[in-house]
Amino acid sequence: VKVGLEVHQQLATGKLFCECPSDLSEEVRGSFARPLRSTSGENRAVDAAAVFQAGRGLRYRYEIASTSCLVEMDEEPPHPLNPTALDVALTLALLLDARPVDEIAVMRKIVVDGSNTAGFQRTALVAVDGHLDLKGKRYSIPSICLEEDAARKVRESPGEITYRLDRLGIPLVEVATGPEIEGGAEAREVAEEIGALLRATRQTRRGIGTVREDVNVSTEGGRRIEIKGVQELRKIQEYIDREVGRQKLLLGVRDELVRRQVPPPSAETTDVTDLLPALSVGPLSGPTRKGAPILAIRLPGFGGLLRAPAGSDERLGRELADQARSAGLHGLIHSDELPGYGIEAPDVERLRTGLGLGPTDAFILITDPNRSRAEAALSRVASRAAAAIEGIPGETRDPLPDGRTRYSRPLPGRERMYPETDIPPIPVTPEHRARLAAHLPERPSALRDRLARDTGLVREVILQLVAGGRAELFEELLGRGHEPSLVARLLIQDLPAVPHGEGEPEWEFPSATLDGLLRSTESGEIAKEGIPRVLLELAKGAPSVAAAIRQAGLAGFTAQELDALVERVVAENEELVRSRGSEAFSPLMGDVMREVRGRRDGQEVADVLRRAIARKQADPAA
Amino acid sequence: MAAANHDDPWEVLRGLPMGRRVEISDDRGTTWTGTIVPRQEMSGDRVVQIKLDSGYNVGVLVAPTFRLRLLEASTAPAGSIATPSSSGAVPAAGGAPWVALLTTGGTIASRVDYETGGVRPVKEEREILSFYPELEAAGRVRIVPVFDRLSEDIVPEDWLALATKVVAAFTGGARGVVVAHGTDTLAFTAAGLSFLLADLPGPVVLVGAQRSPDRPSSDGPSNLAAAVHVAHEGGFGEVVVVMHAGLSDGRYAIHRGTWVRKMHSSRRDAFHSRNGPPLGWVDAKSIHWDLPPRASAPRPARVDGPLDANGGLLWFYPGLTPERAESFARGLRGLVLAGTGLGHVGSSHLDWIRGALGRGQVVAMTTQCLEGTADPFVYATGRQLQRAGVLYLGDLLPEVAYAKLLWALGHAADAKAVEALLLADVAGEFHWRHESGGDP
Repeated sequence: VKVGLEVHQQLATGKLFCECPSDLSEEVRGSFARPLRSTSGENRAVDAAAVFQAGRGLRYRYEIASTSCLVEMDEEPPHPLNPTALDVALTLALLLDARPVDEIAVMRKIVVDGSNTAGFQRTALVAVDGHLDLKGKRYSIPSICLEEDAARKVRESPGEITYRLDRLGIPLVEVATGPEIEGGAEAREVAEEIGALLRATRQTRRGIGTVREDVNVSTEGGRRIEIKGVQELRKIQEYIDREVGRQKLLLGVRDELVRRQVPPPSAETTDVTDLLPALSVGPLSGPTRKGAPILAIRLPGFGGLLRAPAGSDERLGRELADQARSAGLHGLIHSDELPGYGIEAPDVERLRTGLGLGPTDAFILITDPNRSRAEAALSRVASRAAAAIEGIPGETRDPLPDGRTRYSRPLPGRERMYPETDIPPIPVTPEHRARLAAHLPERPSALRDRLARDTGLVREVILQLVAGGRAELFEELLGRGHEPSLVARLLIQDLPAVPHGEGEPEWEFPSATLDGLLRSTESGEIAKEGIPRVLLELAKGAPSVAAAIRQAGLAGFTAQELDALVERVVAENEELVRSRGSEAFSPLMGDVMREVRGRRDGQEVADVLRRAIARKQADPAA
Repeated sequence: MAAANHDDPWEVLRGLPMGRRVEISDDRGTTWTGTIVPRQEMSGDRVVQIKLDSGYNVGVLVAPTFRLRLLEASTAPAGSIATPSSSGAVPAAGGAPWVALLTTGGTIASRVDYETGGVRPVKEEREILSFYPELEAAGRVRIVPVFDRLSEDIVPEDWLALATKVVAAFTGGARGVVVAHGTDTLAFTAAGLSFLLADLPGPVVLVGAQRSPDRPSSDGPSNLAAAVHVAHEGGFGEVVVVMHAGLSDGRYAIHRGTWVRKMHSSRRDAFHSRNGPPLGWVDAKSIHWDLPPRASAPRPARVDGPLDANGGLLWFYPGLTPERAESFARGLRGLVLAGTGLGHVGSSHLDWIRGALGRGQVVAMTTQCLEGTADPFVYATGRQLQRAGVLYLGDLLPEVAYAKLLWALGHAADAKAVEALLLADVAGEFHWRHESGGDP
């Protein structure tokens, strides 16, 4: 397997071509709608991806967010390129030993999925020919680009996709590696190192969705597959491993189809509504009750090849269903999963006979109120089935939260790019490069060494801090006089553990808040075991650390109150102490901790309790 | 074919034609392979612009020590301009109703060359129809190229040439006429045509685009389709402007040619009617009128020319000296002032204005507020100007008053007659009532 990565990192520098901040926003100030025309008609080579999108006949609605202006609405020309963002990209180029171009030309890259109001994305090649050295291996970095992020999809309904303009225009640095990565684990390490380099510039946005990776995977005998927009670094490995498994399965199916000498199936559809009884369950039942026809295509020779083989989670049937979905349907039913979905064995036989199919053949059922859409979907399914005889079609796939990927669209051809004439070329002078070179940020390797040396923390903790992008915050909190191990625990254990919604970023709090929380811990106001509960209250919206401590019920348990509580518990269990002696410690510790967990430090509780038990043993009358 | 070059590669590069494939190696060992694209006008010295095979353009500063290889031309790279397919056939001159599309240049009739980024005009009818396949949704269109000019280069004499083509189109049987025009001075041309065209049997619709047609988001195609729709189905007889009504595609305003102004440098909905609402609105299905348009004339259309370009428009501002203003006015037959507020200029200007009027020049007053009426009677300065003989033109926009002045100068020799024409309602240009409502 050969893997190449494209790492896209959002910058916190403000937007690339206007003066809006690099912030998402929940404040929507209206919306507008536009169709996008495919301008592909004027090109000899029609871009498959562009035609695919334009063929969906969608209308795009754009929500005007408070962090967007006329530039994002494509109602005003772009402003000059953000010089701070350019410096970040150039700094990264220098860190990767790349060769900056002498004059940057901003390009318009045609994108007609609606995610850019103009119908193109602005992008510029900033540097070429870099490399990254990691664990004794050198990875080539063919290009470093600076581009604008696309609008954020917030909703999708039949015929209309809604995007919000807050994300549009946020600068993205794109770092591409050569296809020299040889597996999922290695890919993750390379991505983490590039991420750490990016964060070394201290100008990056943080949280889920602020780093996105495109992963190009090729296996021997397969074709290039692009998994686009992986947001969680730790999942890269899983996506790659599963993709390798998927390609392996598809190559096996291909071999079997070739062995069976199966011809490409036809997209000719048959209306089989009358061959089935009225269905009361299953995905077909709803639409058919409303009069939608059930359409079928034949897949001669595909019998048994649509389902997952034993021990595998991958199956050709899913690839075909993805095609139906991409045509706007909910999915399809294939004969390898029948009987089922309310279709009984005799119905299946009737379908086979009606379609003139034998036991080694397969068929596909689809229903949709819109007959032409159903036929378009079946045509895509037939093409995909035909491609299975050739092997693995090159395509772009979307990553799913469960580690699988799903067909998204055909691979784009060579990008359709032409100059952004509204922005003059930007010279990168030797003086400019020298100025940046004189102030290069600390490389992650140097940072790791320094932190390990200065804090005495174990290497694994340092690695987690740096790879997780929390080194900057860590250092800031150390600078405020906090104890390294306490801060490290807060940043790599407690913060990530605060519950957050599926697909939501991990919680982040201002450094001043974390500073206050650490102070409360160090002063003994709360125990470090109480930190997760305070964080939870902060996440729920507590206005301050003090309020969060109160809301968590951790406030006001003084050392005196602890003494009193321990005395009371020991007194109540006088009999136990007398009979078991110091053996009584464990059950009594449990009783006390139930009351004080998070409010007093566990070690302190143990010490107080041991002393009280000892006193009781020495003087039972006390 | 590899021509090693041991001299300064820049000397060779600067002479290479666009589209030539080259390989440039720098001192560091980085090699740039791609196609020469035209030098950006703002590029630095010794910088060659190359389109790399990835599609990106870069500028390479060529040092004398770099190595240059000239490569065989590749096959035409994707992204180059192809001959447009003949998807839109030229409509036959048969019986079906048709409208004429007069092209004058500007964004709406230009294409971006994807290889160079340059903008070039589109002249071929076939080519325009292939770019705007939806153009004939509302009915047949015949394309008549008139000239190819950015709108800032269009002069009043061009209004007359355009008016002649409009009349020719109606005489030839057109149901309506669409004029595709650059947006910068579109409102001037709309006003000029409003005065120069008489007895219109059908709609004359000016239309433009605020976004170039290379953008998938261009407003040109939908503006044009709406304009063709209005020209086909409008059934009225005056000059209007049809452009985006808001940020969304799908709704277009129909502005009277003498009420409209470009009020934003870049937005799609830049065109606004002043002093009142647009005449009406058009969407994909229907035309809705808020105010009745002027009825089509039963007589054949005619050009009501000529015009005399010897008139001027002067925007008053604090600090404008009487000497400067007088020197601007010298030699003109007439002058429109865009005065402050209700129509004022500094009192120090009274002397030269009296002199100009005494020499038989026409001096007319409008308000630079662009909304509301010029009224001489509220303040002393206004009363003095009015007594001196300055003609107050009500709520005419300064540009509209200027266009009307040129038309009036073409129609009368003496100042009194010109003034009478200026005050006459020629094309529905005055609002006699101003209602509240809508934002100014």
